[in-house]
Amino acid sequence: MSLTPANDIVGKNNGRGLTGLLLVAIPVFLVGWMIIWPIISAIGRTIWLPNEGGGRSFSLETYGFFFTDQYSLNNLGVTLWTTGVCAVLLVLICLPIALYLRFAKGRLAAYVQGLAIFPMFVPSIILSYAIIRVLGPNGTVDLLLNAMHLPKIRSPYLTPWGPVIGLVWDNIPLTVLILLSGLGNVSNQSIEAARDVGAGRLAVLWHIILPRISNSILVAVSFTVLGIFSAFTLPYVLGPAAPEMMGPFMQRTFRDLNDPTNAITQAVIAFCFCIVFGLFYVRSVAKNRSA
Amino acid sequence: MKRRAFMLSVGGAAAGMVLLPRMAFAEAGKIDWYTSSDQNILDFWTNVVKPKFEAANPGVTLNLVDAGDNAGQTAIAERALAAMQTKTDPQADYFETGDWRLPAGAADAGLYVNMKEAGLSNYSKVNPLAFDGDFSLPYRGSQVLLAYDTTKLDPANAPKTFADLVAWIKANPGQFIYNRPDKGGSGGNFVRRAILEANGKDPAKFKVDNYSPEAADAALNPAWDILKDLAPSLFDNGAYTSGNTQSVQLLSQSAVTMIPAWSDQAIQAINTGVLPETTGLVQLQDLALPGGFSRSVVLANGANKDAALKLADFILTEEIQSAVLSELGGFPGVAWDYVNQDLREKYKDVIPTTIPTFPGGDWEKAINDGWYRNVAPNVDRNA
Repeated sequence: MSLTPANDIVGKNNGRGLTGLLLVAIPVFLVGWMIIWPIISAIGRTIWLPNEGGGRSFSLETYGFFFTDQYSLNNLGVTLWTTGVCAVLLVLICLPIALYLRFAKGRLAAYVQGLAIFPMFVPSIILSYAIIRVLGPNGTVDLLLNAMHLPKIRSPYLTPWGPVIGLVWDNIPLTVLILLSGLGNVSNQSIEAARDVGAGRLAVLWHIILPRISNSILVAVSFTVLGIFSAFTLPYVLGPAAPEMMGPFMQRTFRDLNDPTNAITQAVIAFCFCIVFGLFYVRSVAKNRSA
Repeated sequence: MKRRAFMLSVGGAAAGMVLLPRMAFAEAGKIDWYTSSDQNILDFWTNVVKPKFEAANPGVTLNLVDAGDNAGQTAIAERALAAMQTKTDPQADYFETGDWRLPAGAADAGLYVNMKEAGLSNYSKVNPLAFDGDFSLPYRGSQVLLAYDTTKLDPANAPKTFADLVAWIKANPGQFIYNRPDKGGSGGNFVRRAILEANGKDPAKFKVDNYSPEAADAALNPAWDILKDLAPSLFDNGAYTSGNTQSVQLLSQSAVTMIPAWSDQAIQAINTGVLPETTGLVQLQDLALPGGFSRSVVLANGANKDAALKLADFILTEEIQSAVLSELGGFPGVAWDYVNQDLREKYKDVIPTTIPTFPGGDWEKAINDGWYRNVAPNVDRNA
């Protein structure tokens, strides 16, 4: 990419440059006002605590509490565990689907694509209750197993695996779509060329396809991780009472314990983890641009 | 392109609505009323309270607004608090159920009317047990009881005391589940009943203003021991659902035999077929499972404050209080003496003579946080 649209607009012509700046002014202003400013204000409110004198002074007390409190650390731990497991499962599940959709043609592929995108249109609260119905105790799966005289499953409902199953299913469409767009960069010619010199299927995947879509995998993983880290509904309904994921934990601290300062502290900590993945994403986009 | 065009127009319209200057003002004589309760409560107000109140007070209308959930209503309260500081119109007069402690500092700032001093003619009729401070007005209640599957448990053997219940849970491991105490009142009041059990079954020991961290430790730790002791015998070796509805669902899927449930919710579930006809309901006889009251608050800076206070007085009349019992399946907020004699007679079997109540505020926080820290994690789920 030698000439991006932005290069076109921000040319030497000053009048057109101003137009370009005006076009980006509204989104930049909105991001600054509704995202950047709340972040700064949140960090400020958690390190600038009210003191006994009635004023406010610098203190890292709430962060100290979070990182010395085993209960909070367990919640952070289960959030990281859920996010990691979901990310790995998503790549393992979605990569084959995306590869199939990239190379298969015909009616069946269209149906598979429709099925893979379907979860996008199911609200997570409905998904939660559906999972209780299907995978919950005495749910559909149990009924089917029972009909075949097989023992019941150990239901994932109310265990850490409940949210994992729900979140993976919920995030399949996004992951498949991003991987699919990445696979669009893999030209048929390069694959045919590799096959001509005798590369097997695995060799094509490993040496030709994966290097070209590693960026997309990174983007897909950072997107899903950002969503899963702060997931609320599925862990709330399907997960165990303790340890709880950061989403329900923050909400509970804020609303039930009426403790905004600690809730904001948890949010800032969650944000710090998310920003790492955000930076991955930004870096890969920047790399893409300069390439 | 069609979808894209659709998204653009919808997004544009939504953005436009947000960006348009808000020029709406509260109308004189129209009470802006908000609720965070379920649909059945909104229906009750739409079909019963609104027509009766408007007929009794010509020129005054009720604008019933569903605020969604507690968070939604608190946002309205926050807006009203901000409006108070800028001396503008909050466009809100009345919350059907509100916690006067929220948003923090609102009561101190004078956002809510002090009901005790508001001169309501029916204030003295309110059940003294139901109050939670002076800034809110109890007007309806309901109680938690045990719902169970009569095909698995003979009603004759259903537990009648808390000790019986504990013995039954332990003798039938995996057949009982309650929800997390902050996620719904059925589990919340089961936990409170365990706290009362650990404190001599004396609800009078807990008052909204006698909380202290030391008192909480002394009162709550023995209760956590009772509940921790129960955990291995609960469903799935100590699982807790995340709401009243999920508990009902597990009972309906026959995954458990018994759950604590709200009286009105259980009766409604049986009527609509969510729970089978074979569902039994039982209340503990030594000390009932606690109930809760819904308390209305009136905003002091609302444009129709006087009309809203009239409404607050109106819902305590015998007419509405009897309707709470007969139409809503709830309990009246006034003492039983002020309810229609026939209704009192009709419901005397269903409704026990006492509804133990438990104060909110600091106790509630201590119970919720204490349960999560002490009872919930202390489970070996692989056992």
